[in-house]
Amino acid sequence: MELSPENPLSAEPEIETSHPEEFVEQLRCVTDSLPSRINIDAEGVEQGLAKLVLTLIEFIRRLLEKQAVRRMEGGDLSPEQIEELGLALMKLEAKLHELKTQFGLTDEDLNLDLGPIGRLI
Amino acid sequence: MKLYAYCLVEDVGALEATPLGISGAPVRLLEMDEFAVLVSDFNTETVAVSRENALAHAAVVRSVLDRTTPLPFRFGTVVTEQQLRSYISARKPALQTRFALLRGCVEMSVKIIRELSRANSAHAEITSGTTFLQEKQREIRGSEQSAAEAKDISTWLQDQVKALTRDEQVIVRPSEKLVVAAAHLVERAKIPQYKETLAAAREKRSELHFLVSGPWPPYSFANIELEFKSQFRVS
Repeated sequence: MELSPENPLSAEPEIETSHPEEFVEQLRCVTDSLPSRINIDAEGVEQGLAKLVLTLIEFIRRLLEKQAVRRMEGGDLSPEQIEELGLALMKLEAKLHELKTQFGLTDEDLNLDLGPIGRLI
Repeated sequence: MKLYAYCLVEDVGALEATPLGISGAPVRLLEMDEFAVLVSDFNTETVAVSRENALAHAAVVRSVLDRTTPLPFRFGTVVTEQQLRSYISARKPALQTRFALLRGCVEMSVKIIRELSRANSAHAEITSGTTFLQEKQREIRGSEQSAAEAKDISTWLQDQVKALTRDEQVIVRPSEKLVVAAAHLVERAKIPQYKETLAAAREKRSELHFLVSGPWPPYSFANIELEFKSQFRVS
């Protein structure tokens, strides 16, 4: 059914919510996470490159953590191996944190939208 | 001369009091086959992504919504008239099919926020590798549970309105507070019933916070921008 000028149903949008502030805050987060256009300048390029590389490392680090947990749950690691693997991943996490601080990046800066899977962080 | 394209329409007749378009340019109707395209003249290559331009684009598309269901182009679609004509001519059957789906409908939007029940992760100093992995195991189980809850919310919403919707696009974000963002394609005549149904459903889920909005042009269901982009390399 197409609307005619006589049709009483208005196409003017309405917004209904009991929690407007909460939605404004969340929608701002979504807007902030939208990919922005790359702005290449001499000062920003180093941080931009660091962000790209560290995001990939963070992605791989999280995959490694999940794999390690699965192996631990599967019972195919000895207590010594679990300790060793855990320590290696802990050091990797600490190192990444150090690099993020060095380049002035936050956790959210390294977030990735993985589509239907959700977001990396 | 390039054109900024807003939306594709059918049977809209003459334009009445259409708002000014991008850069304050007047909007006109370009007849093409059985369709028409709302366009304005555009003299530069790219469109600045600004609040003003986004609102101008949305206002033009919405200006015809009370008379017809437009097929919106992606924001920033700048083409020549020849490109538009050849696109429409080449994609006529696909566009007819798309209009058949959308005709008489509008987009309604439902967004849902839930409180995330994150386990309290007091960050005590972890020095043991085993404890580190156990902590990660707890985090992973928490996110899996969160994902299952998010899926349940999405399925529940779908069940509430499926009799009233022609199509839907749902984004589920298990790790976010804004857990579900659904776009429903609803026949205009069913909007009051749709709103009533949702209002009743919201009463049953007081732990969730809802934002229901619309009617909007069917941006989530247009699905012509990517084809257009790949064909003409529109950025």
